[in-house]
Amino acid sequence: MVKYISLFILFTTLLLSKQPINKPLQKDCLACHIKYSIPSEMIYRRYLMKYSSKDRIRQKIFEYIKNPNQEKSIMPKPFFLKFKMKESSLLNDIRIKEQIDSFILYYDVKERFFVPTSSLAQ
Amino acid sequence: MYPSEKRSLYRFLIIYLLSTFILFALGAYIFYTYEKHHIFDQQKQLLNTQGLKLRHQLMILHKKLDTQLPFVVNKPYQSVLFDIDKKVIFATYDEIQEPNISKQYYIQDTYLVHIAVMDPYYLGVAYLLVRTLINQEKINDIRLKILLFMFVAGWFFLIIGYFLGKIFISPMRKSIEMMNHFIQDTTHELNTPISTILTNLELIETLYKCPAKKEMKRIEIASKTLSRIYDDLTYLRLNYNSNKEIIALDMLLLIQERLLYFSASIESKGIELEQSLEEGVIVEIDRDDAIRLIDNLLSNAIKYNQIGGNLSVKMWHNGVSIKDSGIGIDPKRLKSIFERFQRANKSEGGFGIGLYIVDQIVQSYSFVLDIKSKLQEGTTVIIRW
Repeated sequence: MVKYISLFILFTTLLLSKQPINKPLQKDCLACHIKYSIPSEMIYRRYLMKYSSKDRIRQKIFEYIKNPNQEKSIMPKPFFLKFKMKESSLLNDIRIKEQIDSFILYYDVKERFFVPTSSLAQ
Repeated sequence: MYPSEKRSLYRFLIIYLLSTFILFALGAYIFYTYEKHHIFDQQKQLLNTQGLKLRHQLMILHKKLDTQLPFVVNKPYQSVLFDIDKKVIFATYDEIQEPNISKQYYIQDTYLVHIAVMDPYYLGVAYLLVRTLINQEKINDIRLKILLFMFVAGWFFLIIGYFLGKIFISPMRKSIEMMNHFIQDTTHELNTPISTILTNLELIETLYKCPAKKEMKRIEIASKTLSRIYDDLTYLRLNYNSNKEIIALDMLLLIQERLLYFSASIESKGIELEQSLEEGVIVEIDRDDAIRLIDNLLSNAIKYNQIGGNLSVKMWHNGVSIKDSGIGIDPKRLKSIFERFQRANKSEGGFGIGLYIVDQIVQSYSFVLDIKSKLQEGTTVIIRW
C-alpha cells in the first residue's frame, strides 16, 4: 500500500512540475527511485538543507554515486534499514555528472520562487 | 565707544561665543549620534522581526517544496536569498550587491541592511538579507531641531555675551576716561604757558638784540618740544570725534614748513639734512593730520639720531620717506612700536604716542606704512599714499 501511495505522490509531483523530466535521468536514476519508492525529493531537500549551493550538492552527490556508503549518504542510518544501499554506478563520470545536473535542475528552487501579488499590493 | 574698548569687546565676544559654540556643538553631536542610534535600533529590531518571519516562511516552504514557492515580503522591506557561495537564489529587487556577511547590520547607500545567517539552510538559503530605507525623515527632523536650537542659543548667548562684555570692560572704560580727563586737564594747563614762552621768545628775538643766542635757541627747542607734546595729546584726546577737513594739500609746502619748524633742533644736534622733494605732490588729507604725521616722523628721526648724524627726507608722487642714522629699533619690537605708550628708548623724552598717532592716521587714510630698521645703523620710515 505504502509503495502505491509513494508512486502516486511521485507521479503527481512529476506531473505538476513545470520542469520536464529529462529522459536519460528517468532511465538512469529515477526508474529505480520509482521502482523502490525511494523519495528523491526528500533526498534533494536534505542536500539543500545541508550543502546549500548547487556546486557543493553536485560534488557530494557525485562522491556518493561513485562510492555509495552510509558516511557519504545524505540520508540518516535508519533510512537504510528500509532501503538497501545502492550499488556503485556503472555509468562513466561524464554521464553521471550530466544526470546529476539534470537532477539538480529538475528540483531547482530558484525558478519556483515568486512574490505573490497580494504582497506587492501592500 | 573707544577703539580699544571695541577691540576688547570683540575679542571677549569671539572667545566667549566660540567656546560656547564648541561646547554646544559637542553636546549637539552627542545628542544627534544618540538619537540616530536610537532610530537605527528601532529599525534594527523591526528588521530582525521581519527576518524571523521570513526564516519561518522558508522553513515551511522547504518542508513542502512545492512547484511554486510564494515568498511574502511586506513593504517597506526588501529581501535577497543567498546560498553558501553568496550566489543569489531569489531577490525582491534588482541591482543586488554582495552582502557583508561579517556584520549582522550595516548601512548600504540609503538602506539599513540585516543579514541573518541560516542554519540549517532551508531551500539552500545560507544568508537571508532583509533591508529597509533608513528613516531619513526622523533623522532630518533631529538635524532641523538641533540647527534651530543652535540658532536660538547662538542669539541668546550673543546677547548675554554683549552685556557680559560690557560689564567686563567697564573698568577699562573708566581707566580710559580717567586718562582722558587727566590729558584734558594737563593740556589745558600747559597751553597757556607754552604759548606765552614762544610768543615772548619771538618778541625778544625781533625787538631786542639778545646776546645769549645759544641759550635762546635751547629755550625755543624746549618750548617747541613741549608744544608738540601738547599737540599730540590734544590730537589723541580729540581725534575720536573731531571733524576732519579733507583738503588737497601741497605736501612740498607742508614738509618744508615742518623742516623749518624743526630747524633749531636739527642744527643743535649737528644733523646733516638731505632733501629730495618732488614738486606738485597733492594729497587729499586733513591739514592737522598731515602735520601730526610728518612732525612725529621728523621728531623721532631727530630725537633718536646721533650727534652729527644724517637725516634724509625724500618725497615722490605717491610717497614720502624719512631716514635717520640713529640708534635703530630692535627687530623684535618692530611690531609693537605702533602701540600706545611704546617707546623705543626710555633715555629720551616723550610719552610713546608718536608712532601710535602715525599708525592711526595711516590707517584712517588707507595709506601704506613700511618701516625698516637696523640697530645702531638707523631707521627708514616710508609712507605711500
